[in-house]
Amino acid sequence: MLYNYYRLKVSTKYFLKLLRARIIKAVGVWFLLVFSLVLSAWSYYYDEITTGAYHFNYPTNFGNRINVPDNNPTTKQGVYLGRMLFYEPRLSANNTLSCANCHKQQLAFTDNRPFSLGVDQVETTRNSMSLANLLWTRKFFWDGRAASLEEQAAIPLTNPHEMGQSLEVSVKKLKAEPEYPALFKAVYGDNTITGDRICKAIAQFERTLISANSRYDQYLSKAYQPSAEELKGMELFNTGPQPEKGIRGANCAHCHGGVKTYLELFHNNGLDSIPKDNGIEAITGSPGDRGRFKVPTLRNIALTAPYMHDGRFKTLDQVLDHYSDHVVQSESLSTVFRGESNDIGGRTLKLLPQEKKEIIAFLNMLTDKDFVTNPEFSDPHLHSTKK
Amino acid sequence: MKKQFIIAFISIVSLVTTITSKAQTTATVKITGEVTAPLSLTVADLHQYTQTTVVRKDKDGKDHTYSGVILADILQKAGVTMNRESLTKYLLVDASDGYEIIFALAELDKSFTDKIIILADTVDGKALAPGDGPFRIIVQDEKKPARCIKQVTSLKVLFAK
Repeated sequence: MLYNYYRLKVSTKYFLKLLRARIIKAVGVWFLLVFSLVLSAWSYYYDEITTGAYHFNYPTNFGNRINVPDNNPTTKQGVYLGRMLFYEPRLSANNTLSCANCHKQQLAFTDNRPFSLGVDQVETTRNSMSLANLLWTRKFFWDGRAASLEEQAAIPLTNPHEMGQSLEVSVKKLKAEPEYPALFKAVYGDNTITGDRICKAIAQFERTLISANSRYDQYLSKAYQPSAEELKGMELFNTGPQPEKGIRGANCAHCHGGVKTYLELFHNNGLDSIPKDNGIEAITGSPGDRGRFKVPTLRNIALTAPYMHDGRFKTLDQVLDHYSDHVVQSESLSTVFRGESNDIGGRTLKLLPQEKKEIIAFLNMLTDKDFVTNPEFSDPHLHSTKK
Repeated sequence: MKKQFIIAFISIVSLVTTITSKAQTTATVKITGEVTAPLSLTVADLHQYTQTTVVRKDKDGKDHTYSGVILADILQKAGVTMNRESLTKYLLVDASDGYEIIFALAELDKSFTDKIIILADTVDGKALAPGDGPFRIIVQDEKKPARCIKQVTSLKVLFAK
């Protein structure tokens, strides 16, 4: 009896214990489920939206001649919204294209095509430009016609052969999405969505696209020892030819000089005697501007093929061949290409095959892996749904 | 009806030609910024000023005679004052290829220096070559030619901030 009683007591005790554990387990599971659901829903809307002034982080040798308009100071929330919009296909007429279709991060924000396809499947007239170190840029597009990123952004958004949608329609579409009005409020103080505010936010995000950790940067900060080939290429890149003194060079730095390999210059680089695309002349009407285009940054140049405003060169070898041997004379050919040669009395650079290889080795040093893989520059919509 | 078409055709053609000829605007240099009277000078306008010549070696290693107007004279016409305050001012010069250089205003002031800096439009009696002109700054005796900026389009007076 005693034994039985004891057994009963034990089994009741055991039963109660089991029950308690079950309840705790069930409650726990439910709590966990609800908690994680709430958390993921909350984080979908609010994750990463830290607010306050955005601090640009770049090496001192980049200099501080940056271009941020007074009426669009960069904030963390503005950059967050700008990134959402940069990757937002609803900003295009058929909801299929975002800025990122022609500016893919893994290609240093280019698209690997001579010309890009718009919503109407018609090609653009010029090659998609890399978006790197725009914080220091003051003239945008191949012909420099836009004075700010804000002004620039509106053009591909509304061009019928690009994203093809008026800012008014974009505003309507964003208003209908649950997340956007609150985001605009976080950035601008109220939840009004306007075309101007869309462009401003995109510009804020684009200013953060800083490429400053290539092997060239590491070399400049004494953290990388270049190979003999790379060093020779760098020397040729930075030296103007003086054949009478026996000095060989490619003089690239004359237009692509400085740490950023960008000097905001516009030149006719002898692609054609009669250009199909007149470049800046179409704006100024000045024959001296015929076939004159922006001299782009060479940062990540190995990733941004094809080359030139019309994407005519598929490889860097072809580009080097052009500058070395095929510059075409014309009235508006920039003076820097006239009589610059490694041969006495030569009309073009006349580089040796080995020298071209060395220069390309140096150009490869300008590839910045961090820039093309930085998660802060990637598609935030993918990021949200993966959670 | 035919007549009307012809008249319309002629008027459209003439309109198009005037528009296109207007598009081929005469080159000018704009003087703006901290000035009382912004200017826009053509080559003809420049010839209204006192002409000064500067001799300078070019890339070919030979002396060339450039003729034009002393920058300080142009700035004076635009109402730029040269006083103690102007010691913190500079002149930003822009070229059509995007190239930019600056001079401190004191570098252009006769009471500070005898070095002559002109906005030239001719070399050896001829108009500057298209790749150099129509306007080019010539800095007397400066060792490097880097501030002898070609294809000048704008002169802007600014305060150092």
